[in-house]
Amino acid sequence: MDGGDEDQTKKKSRPINSIISWTEIREEFSHHHPSVARLNNGSFGCCPASVLAAHRSFHLRFLRHPDAFNLHSLPFALLRSRTLLKHLIHADHLDEIALVDNATTAAALVLHHISQNANAAASFVVVVLHCAFQAVKKSLHAYVTRAGGSVFEIQLPFPVRSRREIIAEFRKGLKRAKSLNLNGGKIRLAIIDHITSMPSFLIPVRELVEICRKEGVEQVFVDAAHALGTVPVDVKEIGADFYVSNLHKWFFCPPSVAVLYSRRSKNAPLPIESSMWTGTKRDYSAQLLVPAVMEFVNRFEGGIEGIMKRNHENVVEMGKMLAESWGTNLGSPPDMCASMIMVGLPSRLLRTHLRECFGVEVPIYHHPATATATATATARDGNDGESRPPRPWDKEDGVITGYARISHQVYNTVDDYHKFRDAIYKLLQEGKVCKQNAFEFDPMS
Amino acid sequence: MENDHHQHHRHELNGDSTKPHAPKKPRLSLSSSFSSITEFEIRSEFSHHDPSIARINNGSFGCCPRSVTAAQMEWQTRFLAQPDAFYFNELKKGILHSRTIIKDLINADHVDEVSIVDNATTAAAIILQQIAWGFAGGKFRPGDAVLMLHYAYGSVKKSIEAYVTRAGGHVIEVPLPFPVNSEEEIISEFKKALERGKANGRKIRLAVIDHVTSMPCVVIPVKELVKICREEGVEQVFIDAAHGIGCTKVDMKEIGADYYASNLHKWFFCPPSIALLYCRKSPEILDLHHPVVSHEYGNGLAIESAWIGTRDYSPQLVVPSVVEFVNRFEGGIEGIKERNHEQVVKMGEMLANAWGTKLGCPPEMCASMIMIGLPTCLGISCEEDTMNLRTHLREQFGVEVPIYFRAPKNGETVSITGYARISHQVYNKEEDYIKFRNAVKQLVSDGFTCTLLSQ
Repeated sequence: MDGGDEDQTKKKSRPINSIISWTEIREEFSHHHPSVARLNNGSFGCCPASVLAAHRSFHLRFLRHPDAFNLHSLPFALLRSRTLLKHLIHADHLDEIALVDNATTAAALVLHHISQNANAAASFVVVVLHCAFQAVKKSLHAYVTRAGGSVFEIQLPFPVRSRREIIAEFRKGLKRAKSLNLNGGKIRLAIIDHITSMPSFLIPVRELVEICRKEGVEQVFVDAAHALGTVPVDVKEIGADFYVSNLHKWFFCPPSVAVLYSRRSKNAPLPIESSMWTGTKRDYSAQLLVPAVMEFVNRFEGGIEGIMKRNHENVVEMGKMLAESWGTNLGSPPDMCASMIMVGLPSRLLRTHLRECFGVEVPIYHHPATATATATATARDGNDGESRPPRPWDKEDGVITGYARISHQVYNTVDDYHKFRDAIYKLLQEGKVCKQNAFEFDPMS
Repeated sequence: MENDHHQHHRHELNGDSTKPHAPKKPRLSLSSSFSSITEFEIRSEFSHHDPSIARINNGSFGCCPRSVTAAQMEWQTRFLAQPDAFYFNELKKGILHSRTIIKDLINADHVDEVSIVDNATTAAAIILQQIAWGFAGGKFRPGDAVLMLHYAYGSVKKSIEAYVTRAGGHVIEVPLPFPVNSEEEIISEFKKALERGKANGRKIRLAVIDHVTSMPCVVIPVKELVKICREEGVEQVFIDAAHGIGCTKVDMKEIGADYYASNLHKWFFCPPSIALLYCRKSPEILDLHHPVVSHEYGNGLAIESAWIGTRDYSPQLVVPSVVEFVNRFEGGIEGIKERNHEQVVKMGEMLANAWGTKLGCPPEMCASMIMIGLPTCLGISCEEDTMNLRTHLREQFGVEVPIYFRAPKNGETVSITGYARISHQVYNKEEDYIKFRNAVKQLVSDGFTCTLLSQ
């Protein structure tokens, strides 16, 4: 063993010559389709070959003698994963750490728990962000609305200008929810994203959780599907009651596994264990890979922290390059994004078309240009005021209604983003536009 | 098993009419010159099994042949190569294909009636959630009943408690005899329990009936019980058939239940986890939802279940490869079932004779698993003894077999308190059971008792 789990999560610097090389990184991701510029790590993540090998190994050991594996190897392997995760997210107690399939499952578990314990007589209120993940909103419908509760959505502005703006808007929204005076102005649960999906930006969760406490919100659930592997996570500092992050998005695990933190306190433990929905005789292999992942990330300079830092720097750099090339803008300031950033598109373009004709994988967000949007808040093409060579589409002063969410992960190169840049150039030169209703609904972001 | 194949052919040549039926449904893929899978090929398909273990517990975790594991890896690789394209272009099609095959396998009317979930436990949660809403929404009266068998699977019992008792429902357990001598014994107990359930004008909203109980393992006469439920005004019937497809006869129209759940990773050669949930078309099924809610919520249970967030769906996509595998066997899945049944009865009787004990049920009340009494001198006196003995058999003798503790009833003196549940699947050989026979004989001659293990 290498000096205990805490050491393994803290291990940072290695001798220069044992840092993973670019060739080795390419090998680790050689199973990725070679002709696709994969700019969408945010949706389905990635898994390096060495972790896949560990996955396969566990799977084969299970198939070889499942009874023995489940009895002897499995409990220990699960414990190792959970212990490493406890250190990673700075939780106090091991029993606060549960492994579930994904953030969608965690949301259903928490909301089921809330709806079960609701006093049938009183109406209860749950507050959620307007841009919350679609599955979470449906879960609210299935469990909260159905049980007689009310859901209140808080609108946050986009494009985002500053942390202060988000904090102010959230505070206003929460006060408005309380003023509806349902259930005597008492809010049962607030659901806050750590990093929103579409459009994507980084939320100052610690501050928002603090506001919730001040306003007497009973419990706070942070949906941090994208957090582990893109931002440092300290659940004690954040202070939420429930916190979930997928490991198969940015933490190099294969599908699927997520860590669900439930703060040990006045909370009763979640009465519906996930095993009641999944059974226990299942394939746990994906949940056993945290040690293999730690080995992988520690081959990089600075370990997972180094990866996060470089992903952030690169995605910002690439985002700026694209926005400048197209004469558009970013959806948020650099300090309000992690490894993903929103880049304005010069016109409305289809995601499928980009995949099939240009080999570019990137999700597109259609931002409704509303009447309340001010001239400064709504970005316009070609209006950056700087002198630069004129582009063929400059004649149209279009309002930016489409944003691409680009990601950066260790396998990406500058060429991927150039491919995207040039695809858009080509589409514009060809005069391609799309009608509004041709926009595909993208639930998968 | 080579002997088995020869016997089968001999029967056919002699026009043996003891086999009551040929496979009912046409095989799903026909080849003009069929040559069945050889003994060697079967060995190769299961060469990943630990060769030092007599694996006679297919009932717990099932098995997965190499060719299906290879197909699974292929699906996984396609996802990893380009996950977005896979999600948009391949996943839904693949799941629909699996569902269509399953629909034909179980003789259901429409593919809409077939949903794929993780396992029977998930299916139970789905059905029970609907029941819980019935109580919460006032459709059911407090005290209305849900009926289940005493030998219902542990996690299903827990779910019934969590969803029904919490919501104000009354749970009735049907006591079942074990050892059991005939189907009539079970039917009689069931009828009595229904009477109790309906006492005080209560309505029985749901009956949860195992098709094949787990421990102890007995095939329940579900067709008869469903009929009785209909006659006695039970509103809905859910058959929990964790051991269903590939183990016993699974014909939805014949059984006539409202809901039927069967694991496919136990007896249908799929990797974990995949199960079928059949829901007969009715107004009620519109209110069935998967507990994990995605953006597909409201599009019908089958569609909801086909996307519950990012996961590895490969176990659900390999069903076509499994069909290819089973069709390499004489008689396809029907042939496999018949031979498993014959062999497990034969081996069970061999063991009971060798140990001087008896079977837990008559041969016609078992499918591909059977309970055999263990010699009383082994001194199995509690649940813990069964776990310890099982571990002892695994570690000292290389035999994997689950043991059931059968508590003596009032007034019983000398009775068999321990039963082993042996399974038979295509990879088993007679040697596996001989190994078990000899292990127990050795324990007996060594004067072994379970008290030695709990020290």
